[in-house]
Amino acid sequence: MNSLHETQRRFTNYALRGLGQDLVGEGIKSNGLTAQQRLAIYRNNTQLGLTEALRDGYPVVNKLVGTEFFNHLARSYIRRHPPKAGCLLSFGNQFADFIAAFEPAAGLPYLPDMARLEWCWHEAFHEADANPLAMSTLAKIDPAAYGKLGFTLHPSARLLASDYPILKIWESNQEDYEGDGRIDLDEGGCHLLIYRPKWDVVIILLPEAEYQFLNLLDMQLTLIQAVEQVTVKAPDFPVQAVLQRWLNSGLLTDIYYQQ
Amino acid sequence: MTHVPQAFTRNSAILLSAGIGLRSQHYRDVLETRPTVGWFEVHSENYFGKGGAPLRYLEKIREDYPISLHGVGMSLGSVDALDGQHLAQLKGLMNRIEPGLVSEHLSWGSFGGDYLNDLAPLPYNEEALLHLAGRIAQVHDFLGRQILIENPSSYLEYEHSTYLEYEFLNELSRRTGCGILLDVNNVYVSCHNHGWDALDYLQGIAADRVGEIHLAGHTVNSVAGRDILIDTHDQKVCSEVWALYQTALRVIGTKPTLIEWDTDVPALSALIDEAQQANSHLGVRHELAA
Repeated sequence: MNSLHETQRRFTNYALRGLGQDLVGEGIKSNGLTAQQRLAIYRNNTQLGLTEALRDGYPVVNKLVGTEFFNHLARSYIRRHPPKAGCLLSFGNQFADFIAAFEPAAGLPYLPDMARLEWCWHEAFHEADANPLAMSTLAKIDPAAYGKLGFTLHPSARLLASDYPILKIWESNQEDYEGDGRIDLDEGGCHLLIYRPKWDVVIILLPEAEYQFLNLLDMQLTLIQAVEQVTVKAPDFPVQAVLQRWLNSGLLTDIYYQQ
Repeated sequence: MTHVPQAFTRNSAILLSAGIGLRSQHYRDVLETRPTVGWFEVHSENYFGKGGAPLRYLEKIREDYPISLHGVGMSLGSVDALDGQHLAQLKGLMNRIEPGLVSEHLSWGSFGGDYLNDLAPLPYNEEALLHLAGRIAQVHDFLGRQILIENPSSYLEYEHSTYLEYEFLNELSRRTGCGILLDVNNVYVSCHNHGWDALDYLQGIAADRVGEIHLAGHTVNSVAGRDILIDTHDQKVCSEVWALYQTALRVIGTKPTLIEWDTDVPALSALIDEAQQANSHLGVRHELAA
């Protein structure tokens, strides 16, 4: 007689990875169908359910490669990186790296970055809420403490750089897109900010210096340190205007003083 | 971010009426039209995120309707340890939403930390009973409230089962104090697939332990020339299941009833029609739900 442990071990290996076909049917009633046929229903449900969950998170990757190729990709991914929790919010978090190493997808070199963009969007959508930095907080900053002043970015903020024009590709694959769809892959990369000011996720194309600046703030460098680094390459970096823009847009949600 | 729980003016209790499974496609429609529906049920795990639109909509809808939290991912019957983070997320959601009911499934869904995202079948024997009773007691302790356990749709049976499914559920309920969520569609599907007697099932289930009924649509698949029913939640409740539902109401009494439709989700009005049909069987005038 199979213990619960052994039954679940075999079932899981079969449903997720197609392994152990010969033993998995032990202890299952046939009753008109073979144990294999009955188990195949569960394996199919598991594969379908997880493939659709992955497709929900990566609609543009799915469009770019087509349903059939995506199914193939998903099946390989599920085998290698099955969900690690009963809540699927983090399922698919290694998809971009997986695609990058997936030989049959090598013809679309921008695909891993597209997956990264879609995962940033997914994470931003479910991240914690936060209010924009209050003007009253800013008014209370002691000028003597400017040297230690740092800014906290919205919890949903994700910064992503790519060697490919992935924002244009992303936009051309949205339902409301009205352009002609022609994109020159050689036009160069892009620097992106993905965040959710309130309830809707936005993707914003940034100049490289601004991207670097926000990245430095996010890495908890002080304002002064971040400005010093950015102005090495971009001496005309408009600090005032950039700070103003992101204060007004709810990206900066708090201040702190570095110890 | 700390969230200050709000006191909902609307009572959390789910009264005798039909409810609808709330899906993201219908958030705006529900808020704009405030349909005459008794209550809504959601899949708890869809609201385990830290913030954003899903929680925001759920809280807005909760201001006007009682909510039932239905879990699909706790993996109650698994031999893996219970996932403490999952339980903590569920409890956090409960504090936030103040649900009228909390439910899970008579199934397992993970091994060695890998999850199937599916409701896998258990052998109905002493080993599984002891295991599940212990797990449900743990969940009751942690959540500080009773949960309901739902009978699954199943496509296989284990030779080493020694209990019928309803006997197993009854015994689990007797030992742990958990309630039973009777999914009439699942009774229909499993009875068809295994040749069980549906009337025997309804007469056998401990009526006083049943706190909720589910109704949903299923799909008929042909496997090796044999019809196998699959619990797909992608269409209307079929006439045979409506008939079995009426039998269930006669045998076990009237219970709050949910219309579930999760795939190929139709317009909200189609779900409201089904809910009203359930209300008419329950003898509930739909204005009551307004």
